[in-house]
Amino acid sequence: MMKTLKTIAAALLALAMSASLAACGAGAPAASSAAVSTSSSSAASGDTPVIGISQYGEHPSLDNCREGFLEGLKEAGLTEGTDFTLDYQNAGFDDSVATQIAQKFSAEDTALMCAIATPSAVACYAAAEDKDIPVIFTAITDPEAAGLTAGNVTGTSDKLPVEAQLELIRNIQPDAKTIGIVYTTSEPNSVSSIAEYQAKAGSYNFTIDAVGVTAQSEVTQAVDKLIGDGVDCLSNLTDNNVVGVLSSVLEKTNEAGIPVYGSEVEQVKNGCVAAAGIDYYQLGIQTGAMAAQVLTGKKTCDDIPYETISEYGTYVNSQSLAALHMTLPAAVSQKATEASKA
Amino acid sequence: MLEIQKITKVYNAGTVTENRLFSDFSLTVDDGQFVSVVGGNGSGKTSLLNIICGTIPAESGDVLVDGQSISRQKDYQRCASMGRVYQNPALGTCPNLTMLENLSLADNKGRPFGLSRGVSKTRGAYFREQLAALGLGLEDKLNVKMGSLSGGQRQAVALLMATLTPLRFLILDEHTAALDPKTAEIIMALTDRIVREKRLTAVMVTHNLRYAAEYGDRILMLDRGRIVLDRAGQEKRDTSAEELFQLFSRAALDCG
Amino acid sequence: MLDLVISTVTQGLIYALISFGVYIIYSILDFPDLSVDGSFPLGAAVTAVLLTRGVNPYLTLPAAIAAGALAGLSTGLIHVKLHVRDLLAGIITMTALFSINLQIAGSNLTVERATDTIFTAEPTMAVFGGLSLLGRKLAVAFLLTLAVKLGLDAYLRTKSGLLLRAVGDNGTLVTALARDRGSVKILGLTLSNALVALAGCVVCHEQRSFSATMGTGQVVFGLATVIIGVTLFRRLRFVRGTTAVIVGSILYKTCIQVAISLGLPANLLKLITALLFLLVLVLSGRKGEEIIHA
Repeated sequence: MMKTLKTIAAALLALAMSASLAACGAGAPAASSAAVSTSSSSAASGDTPVIGISQYGEHPSLDNCREGFLEGLKEAGLTEGTDFTLDYQNAGFDDSVATQIAQKFSAEDTALMCAIATPSAVACYAAAEDKDIPVIFTAITDPEAAGLTAGNVTGTSDKLPVEAQLELIRNIQPDAKTIGIVYTTSEPNSVSSIAEYQAKAGSYNFTIDAVGVTAQSEVTQAVDKLIGDGVDCLSNLTDNNVVGVLSSVLEKTNEAGIPVYGSEVEQVKNGCVAAAGIDYYQLGIQTGAMAAQVLTGKKTCDDIPYETISEYGTYVNSQSLAALHMTLPAAVSQKATEASKA
Repeated sequence: MLEIQKITKVYNAGTVTENRLFSDFSLTVDDGQFVSVVGGNGSGKTSLLNIICGTIPAESGDVLVDGQSISRQKDYQRCASMGRVYQNPALGTCPNLTMLENLSLADNKGRPFGLSRGVSKTRGAYFREQLAALGLGLEDKLNVKMGSLSGGQRQAVALLMATLTPLRFLILDEHTAALDPKTAEIIMALTDRIVREKRLTAVMVTHNLRYAAEYGDRILMLDRGRIVLDRAGQEKRDTSAEELFQLFSRAALDCG
Repeated sequence: MLDLVISTVTQGLIYALISFGVYIIYSILDFPDLSVDGSFPLGAAVTAVLLTRGVNPYLTLPAAIAAGALAGLSTGLIHVKLHVRDLLAGIITMTALFSINLQIAGSNLTVERATDTIFTAEPTMAVFGGLSLLGRKLAVAFLLTLAVKLGLDAYLRTKSGLLLRAVGDNGTLVTALARDRGSVKILGLTLSNALVALAGCVVCHEQRSFSATMGTGQVVFGLATVIIGVTLFRRLRFVRGTTAVIVGSILYKTCIQVAISLGLPANLLKLITALLFLLVLVLSGRKGEEIIHA
């Protein structure tokens, strides 16, 4: 008797969850927690358009993108609440969650999907097909390789200014010959960047020693190998696994006396000697501007080809440089911004 | 005819615990014989069965069926002509399949397990008949999962399954040892009946000297890998359980 | 929101193909096979490459099935012939497949909108053209999963299927039936990984992309849905195992969608899922110590 009751209770629980799913879709208020996601949805058209932001995971660069995106909308004259409402979702680095987020956006007829990072963008692109919802992406290194160039989709690319970085390294270390790079073989952004490094390195008289890893736990071993190979310096891509363990990497390289060049300002703050990098916040603003144009109907995605960041900044960390007994040549220090932890 | 020729079996060779169990051990079992094998612990009874069935390899020697060596055959290949009932009733049947499904599996032994219906609709009556003949009321339990039956019931079905399809040898590995005395009697009587009705050649390892004396037509007593007693025919029939016990104890005392 | 329910149920139906595979491995064969994490993306990789090369979308299904079968076969051979422990054999295959998938399709591969999938190709349009894309996905997924389910049910009723069920329940009996346990296990592994790869194939059609990391955690997903489904319907004898795991899969995807819709932090999603299993198991009177057999 008890057992049957328990089975019925379990089945009812399941039913209740499905019902709450429907209820949530109809606009129940969100239970918001300490800062990560907010959700307010409007069911019927005619209300304020909803912008769905699908971020692949929590990560300083991606967070900066999002903040910049919101700023970009503001700068374009759109106010949250009146001109649009937001539905921000975070996939926690899980591909199938990213898919379900995108499907939620489609089901709720969002006016626009903003996707941060490749897996979320690809998921949004697939889910948007049914209702032809515009997709604006950001933080994708190679949109062409990701197949996001045709059909109501556009955005900004965080393609690394590889040449600028090579030039920077050449200026700071005139005698360096080999640059070591650790990258994740399954991260499409990294794979594209490595290809570009290897293509352009020759013109700056560098050879690239690249080591591929499959997981974050292998990064420090890869660094050991590079140190053993006698590289003159390391350069970072925007590789999540490497950036995630940057402090461990720096520990090893500092001991070996090898400088590490970052790919964006946060990494320099955390101990890399220098970077010719993009500002993700700026990237976000650029994206927000595009979104504003599409949202207000001024342009469609097809009118806007994807953009790469035009300006890059040169950031240096004097403390890190000093610790490695390196000095900056005048040419660099003139246009560099100091980016060290105070 | 089952022949075991000059088998040598050594456990843990080359170590401190090396045990030379069988040295040049030979045995012939004629067709239709029902042999009981008794002996103390470590006498080699179970090892002998395992060597016959191919579960463990022998260092040297040969096992032949009708003059053909089967030593190269794997255990499952040998099972084509042998049936085996284990001491543990759980090993003879699948607990989460029904009795009907278990019997269907056993019924198909020797034929391909292809994509035709697993449980045949037409064999139900035959199975019921066979189960009824066991006299345990199992014919009503065809759709019950084996796991919910008692050890004795499972062992009875295991015995039936092992002998359902034509076989050369029936290997009984202390198959009543885990049952209560009453159920053990039933299973033993059943075994005897099936062996005689189907005229099987059977090798039964048992701890129970009374069964060894009462059933079968030949008795072997093993002691540390050697045959110390081998009686068949009238001589065996004249041997009582008490005498067996005395012989058994003497063998145990001899080895100190 | 009907659309949301439709898309969630569709996801549940598609991913139920993984549940079928895991059902065979864990519930029937009692073999902890981790190669699922590798054969799922394998199916997707093969599909993505074939679609971008202009192959008929319907042909990607048998191609993925064949690829998955090979993966399962290799796990089986490593386990049976090379005598590697079941868990390790699966891990070896899974690890090898990670590299193999990268070789096949690179780190990720997207299928353009212009390319037809099984949801947009002419034959599908001829039958379901009246529905929206969302509706079509549901219809095709439903038919496909139903077909696989019925096929699997029928197979498990055959002699071969019965033997498969026996090998996971009492391997000694299989030997006694003069059959090679190893071969039967290999068959089971081949079948289950073929199904998982099929799941990867359909997901690739639905998402129009392959990503090298899409397999991570799928074996956990499969296990969870099998446990939920089988536990929930344990008392109801007329509900087959295959139906139960479909329900488990839909339930799982529903939980995630509920969590997303409630605006709960993504980091807590796994915790919520774990709490859900606990709730389901406790309410159904089982502590989940053993996998319920077919």
